Amino acid sequence: MSSTILAHATGVARTFGTGSAAIVAVHDVDCSIRPGDRIALMGPSGSGKTTLLHLLAGLDQPTAGIVEWPDIGSIGDLRPGPVAVVFQAPSLLPPLDVIENVALPLLLAGADRQDATARALEALTRLGLDNLKAKLPEELSGGQAQRVAIARVLADRPKLILADEPTGQLDHRSGAAVIDALIAAAIHTGAALVVNTHDPAVAKRLNIRWSMANGTLIVSEPLPC
Amino acid sequence: MLSNHGGPRPPLAIAWLRGLIRRRSGRLAATAIGVALAVGLLASIGAFLSASKATMTSRAIATVAVDWQVEAQNGSDPATMARRVAATPHVVATEPVQFATTTGFQFDGASTVQTTGAGHVLGISNTYRKTFPDQIRTLAGTPNGILLFQQTAANLQARPGSTITVNRAGLEPVKVTVAGIVDIPQADSLFQTVGAPIGAVAQAPPDNVLIVPTATWHRLFDPLAAKRPDLLHTQVHARLDHALPRDPAAAYNTTTGQARNLEVKLAGTGLVGDNIGATLSGARSDALYAQILFLFLGVPGAVLAGLLTATVAGSGRDRRRREQALLRTRGATTRQLTQLGITEAALVGVVGSALGLGLAYVVGRLAFRTTRFGATTGAAIVWSASAAAAGLLIAIASIAVPAWRDGRDTTVATARLTVGRAGNPRWMRWFLDVALLATAVTVFWLTSRNGYKLILAVEGVPTISVSYWAFAGPALLWIGAGLLAYRLTNTLLHRGRPVLAASLRPLAGGLSDTVAASLKRQRRLLARGAALVALTIGFAASTAIFNSTYHQQAEADAVLTNGADVTATISPGATITPTSQVARRIAATPGVRHVEALQHRYAYVGADLQDLYGIDTATIVKAGRLQNAYFQGGTAPQLMATLAAKPDSILVSAETVHDFQLLPGDAITLRLQNGKTKQYANVRFHYVGVAKEFPTAPRDSFLLANASYIAQQTGTDTNGSFLIDTGGHNIASIAHQVSIQVGTTATVTDLASSRKVIGSSLTAVDLAGLTRVELGFALALAAAATGLTLWLGLVERRRTFAIAAALGANPRQLGAFVWAEAGIVTTAGIAAGTATAWALSNMLVKVLQGVFDPPPSALAVPWSYLIVLGAVSIAATAIAAVIALANARRPHIELLRSI
Repeated sequence: MSSTILAHATGVARTFGTGSAAIVAVHDVDCSIRPGDRIALMGPSGSGKTTLLHLLAGLDQPTAGIVEWPDIGSIGDLRPGPVAVVFQAPSLLPPLDVIENVALPLLLAGADRQDATARALEALTRLGLDNLKAKLPEELSGGQAQRVAIARVLADRPKLILADEPTGQLDHRSGAAVIDALIAAAIHTGAALVVNTHDPAVAKRLNIRWSMANGTLIVSEPLPC
Repeated sequence: MLSNHGGPRPPLAIAWLRGLIRRRSGRLAATAIGVALAVGLLASIGAFLSASKATMTSRAIATVAVDWQVEAQNGSDPATMARRVAATPHVVATEPVQFATTTGFQFDGASTVQTTGAGHVLGISNTYRKTFPDQIRTLAGTPNGILLFQQTAANLQARPGSTITVNRAGLEPVKVTVAGIVDIPQADSLFQTVGAPIGAVAQAPPDNVLIVPTATWHRLFDPLAAKRPDLLHTQVHARLDHALPRDPAAAYNTTTGQARNLEVKLAGTGLVGDNIGATLSGARSDALYAQILFLFLGVPGAVLAGLLTATVAGSGRDRRRREQALLRTRGATTRQLTQLGITEAALVGVVGSALGLGLAYVVGRLAFRTTRFGATTGAAIVWSASAAAAGLLIAIASIAVPAWRDGRDTTVATARLTVGRAGNPRWMRWFLDVALLATAVTVFWLTSRNGYKLILAVEGVPTISVSYWAFAGPALLWIGAGLLAYRLTNTLLHRGRPVLAASLRPLAGGLSDTVAASLKRQRRLLARGAALVALTIGFAASTAIFNSTYHQQAEADAVLTNGADVTATISPGATITPTSQVARRIAATPGVRHVEALQHRYAYVGADLQDLYGIDTATIVKAGRLQNAYFQGGTAPQLMATLAAKPDSILVSAETVHDFQLLPGDAITLRLQNGKTKQYANVRFHYVGVAKEFPTAPRDSFLLANASYIAQQTGTDTNGSFLIDTGGHNIASIAHQVSIQVGTTATVTDLASSRKVIGSSLTAVDLAGLTRVELGFALALAAAATGLTLWLGLVERRRTFAIAAALGANPRQLGAFVWAEAGIVTTAGIAAGTATAWALSNMLVKVLQGVFDPPPSALAVPWSYLIVLGAVSIAATAIAAVIALANARRPHIELLRSI
């Protein structure tokens, strides 16, 4: 286990709404993510998995507690680059084709266009998607679109990949292909991987289990991969 | 929720509506506002037509001094005829008037004896002037007794108290003492040939007229009845009940019907001189022009509001398609989806129409001071119902029809597509835009040729015809230009990606190529936006330019008719020189800035008698407000310089040039009356140019020459008129002061009165209200076409921006996407709209030539309005972009979670 910490949550809570209508999505969570971690975040719907993932990704702010990224920097340094997110819903930009979508985070980070395109193509080739490079998102299947989203992560070479139910809208076979791609991307980039999932089969592919229930996190010991 | 029988149960429709109101309230409100704009504009136009038609009718009626002049025919008994006229329904007052033709008048002055040619003596009762107050105007002396016409008084050099001799054919002359000097403003009508065939050449009114009490007339002319009955006749002047329809055409038909009916009842004993009918005949043409103006200026606005509504509704199309796809996967049929669309359309249509009618009510009250939407109650109902129906139709076309089409033609899979491989629309492949523009040019060429009449209103004929075909030119140009704007924007975004990327580099930096790619893929959406902006700017700017040109020409018409702010026209026979006491008194009148003396003579050109004006070329351009359009072959200052170059230079009309085959430099010999000998003598001039119009001059043919040369050749520098510049201030009061100064030696007219009098053309219609409404709506449409549609489009794609933000795009990078899109739509739209407005304005002015008199030499461009229009468009775009960017700055978690 590495001593460096990519993300660290201390006493984190997230409450939506106020007063009697307030909903506590995440409550008093403490957790850390280290380089090389392969974490399956499990729990029933509404247990707070996605909220926790968004907090760890810096996409949302906790209403209590602190989220830090000691090995990365402040919240402004997370993206584009160090922290990449794969969403459950389609997340490719409709007016850009596949290679432009994959190259986008690199361009947002200030990369040269030719370099960004070359890295995007390399990522697509690594995941066997280079034949789709000129397609528009609406011309892809759900599984293809998720794998392209993973290629986008791969091209960005992040330190931490956070995937929010990436197989939630896919059939079993497509889901397996997406998890293969995610793990391959994590291995290739050396990034830590957190996958939010319902699927025990997906969870089995990862060596750390985090379980959530009613906004509370239970962290298990790492299993041998 | 869905029944098995194909129709939605009420709860589904209610639930759908409830959901729309709660979740899509912004888009629903925006769509309803679009409908309200269309309905409001149409109903406001109805209010404008109602107000303007009523104005035209009342103004036309107000200008008529005597409604009917019923003339007894030979052998009939005038008294019986008078009783019948008085008993006619709608006739509220009658007065008999006797006419006698004299062989002339004479006045023995202190040192000279002045005589006139043949004249007329009218006999009127002592109540006549009360019954018809506008027929006779007292200039000097008392209003009753023996009244001498101003021109006759000038010819005889007589004044109140003078005793003049009336010569009678075959009888001894008699003497009468003049009690007052009067003007007969409508002498043309008073001395008309009653029963003259339609189209007959109008007779000039007589110069010599004496008005006497009835008893005096009988004393003077009853002895003549036995010997020369042909020199005497009787008329009955009638005033009608003016409770006429508000629409001039309907009022015309009513009064002419009544006149014909009276003639039938008189059975040949009398003929009706239908003055009110003749005036209303002109007014009905004006009314039709007003209607045409509505067509040209109003309908495009309503169409635009409809297009805008469709665009607003269409901006949520992708979302609606996805929602429909969800419904279909749960078993909804096309019919059910269509019914849901109709439900939404009905809600938007009803709310929008109600708002629009309310808006029109307010606009009508404020701008036109009327709350009626039509000239008659029936018309008001039709207008309101039509405007509301148009609103419902727009809502159905914008919401229900796309829902039905999507339900029928779109699969669940394609319904999820948001961009698509954009192929060109069918009309682009068929070059419909080019075809429309070519047709517009052809129609324009056909309808703008010389002699083409947009409106044909033949006097005496109840129907008037309008060449609606002429509307096709501007309408096709507008539509074709909109489609061309789409094509050009589409082509630029599709083919010009490298250029676009290069030009976006300052804004987008390293993202420029990606932004250009994004624009290319959304080119159909952006081209549609640019076309809408082009149509809106084209509509707004051309309307503003047309209105501005209209006002410029209305003013020019008034100036051309009156000559100056105040004009004193010297009575024939009076001799006033620039240095005379009268001239000095005019110049000394408080408020008078400058007095321009204008010589007016009559000159024989061959056998033609033409008006000759002697002018001071150094001062006339400014004093006479001469426009370049008045001259041919140069500007007004250039032609004046040419005239001044040689003393004997002369400008003649194009007609004269043609008739006499003149070439510049040719000598022309005119016959002019010598001021001293009163004999006509030859005076040699040299033709140097063509004048088409000149203040106070007749339109067909006249001559302009140097005043000093005419004075030298004729031995007198007597003036015809004085053009008085007041700087536009206190015109009426200065005119009154001047009229006191000149007494009976001149007739004083002013610009304000001329504006009202020149009602034969559309200048009688006050377009100010319509202008305010149209331009106000145009600004609202421009703001909506730019800002609202951009904002709604961005709102619909806010998830895209949320993803980009989640990927790490900073505000500047997000801004590159938003500003590029906004910039392309606004720049392309405004550029295409400006070109459209320029072409459309020129075409409108040419097609509506009948509205303009004189025709404009150049369009009047209302720069301030155009700047405001551009600023509103750009500001609306900027506000929409800033709001969208402010929302996109932080990734919205709920958007990232949504499908």
